[in-house]
Amino acid sequence: MGNALFIVWRESAEAMLVVGILYAWLRQRPDAATGMRFLWGGVAAGAGLALLLALVMLGIASSLSGDALEYFQLAITLVAAGLIVQMVFWMRRHGRTFRNDLERDMAREAGESRWWGLLVVVALAVGRESAETVVFLYGLAGQDDGGIDFPVVLAVGLLLAFATFWLLQHGGKVLSWRRFFRISETLLLLLAGALLVGGLEKLIALGVLPALVDPVWDTSLILDDSSRFGGLVASFTGYRAKPALVPLLALAAYWIAVPLLLRRSHAKAPAPQPVAAPSR
Amino acid sequence: MRLIRPAAAVVTALLAIAAYAEDAPLKLVARDGRFEPATLDVPAGKRVRIEVSNQNAKAIEFESKDLKQEKVIAPGKTAVITLNALKPGEYRYFDEFQQSTGQGKIVAK
Repeated sequence: MGNALFIVWRESAEAMLVVGILYAWLRQRPDAATGMRFLWGGVAAGAGLALLLALVMLGIASSLSGDALEYFQLAITLVAAGLIVQMVFWMRRHGRTFRNDLERDMAREAGESRWWGLLVVVALAVGRESAETVVFLYGLAGQDDGGIDFPVVLAVGLLLAFATFWLLQHGGKVLSWRRFFRISETLLLLLAGALLVGGLEKLIALGVLPALVDPVWDTSLILDDSSRFGGLVASFTGYRAKPALVPLLALAAYWIAVPLLLRRSHAKAPAPQPVAAPSR
Repeated sequence: MRLIRPAAAVVTALLAIAAYAEDAPLKLVARDGRFEPATLDVPAGKRVRIEVSNQNAKAIEFESKDLKQEKVIAPGKTAVITLNALKPGEYRYFDEFQQSTGQGKIVAK
């Protein structure tokens, strides 16, 4: 029971993180109504994607279709990583100036084309891991396993997920907006880095990329990524106890390039207005 | 004379197919929340295919950080996992949906 709950929560935490942060951020914007439509549209599309993926996994998870599914999941992972980074840049560019009327209009104009990007990033975040939850729950539903009650797990799991979502919304109120935004940014960038590592490892597993050196080192004595906690850290930061060289270099390059580019886009942005950071 | 090259090509291809067919996938069965055999020996230094058959009533997620593999397998389904050439050593894997009992290792020799 506890195990099942943990799995449902963990699998939905990524989606909650992306949706929760975007929701909190959109609420601050003058064009929130438009954004929300795309946000919930993304959630709906993601649920559809999850069901579709789950059906593939349940129906034809044979060796033949297995590879196609692998490549599809790989593509989803890498595209999601890229879009999340792009989303952080976008939020950074348009988050700080929206009180200024002129700039608000500019942001809205630039934003129109990006709403679809928002929809896709939400759909991928929701669809990616939720498919696994669906397959997992499907297995639970199909059997009577000494006290594991499927509807209860589903209900409590969803409740936990919404509690996470609520905490994120609440966090935006307790912390200053600027600090909440900084933390959100960091969480999203960590997640995108984790997706990058996961995607590259899949490419190595498929034989597309070489690992070069595998493993480079072994830190499983400090934090074992096969343990429950270590696994959680791994899926949200890209941590590996025994990393292969290629994903390791990629993650290092990512963490050098992204902060540098963020700082540059920051420098290019107009000087912050005194009212740029509303305290809520 | 002209036929020698194509004939050689055909023979080479057949040999390649024979070599490929020789490497039947190793079998791993997930049953009652456990993996059988819990320790699977595989040859080191060459690509290996492992057929994981999920005979549980529940879905499993075959996951190995050591092997960099992750695959959800629905109840009653079988999936093939291809491992790149391994260095000799032990590689742990587990069922992420049933981590308390679903543990095993692959030993490359």
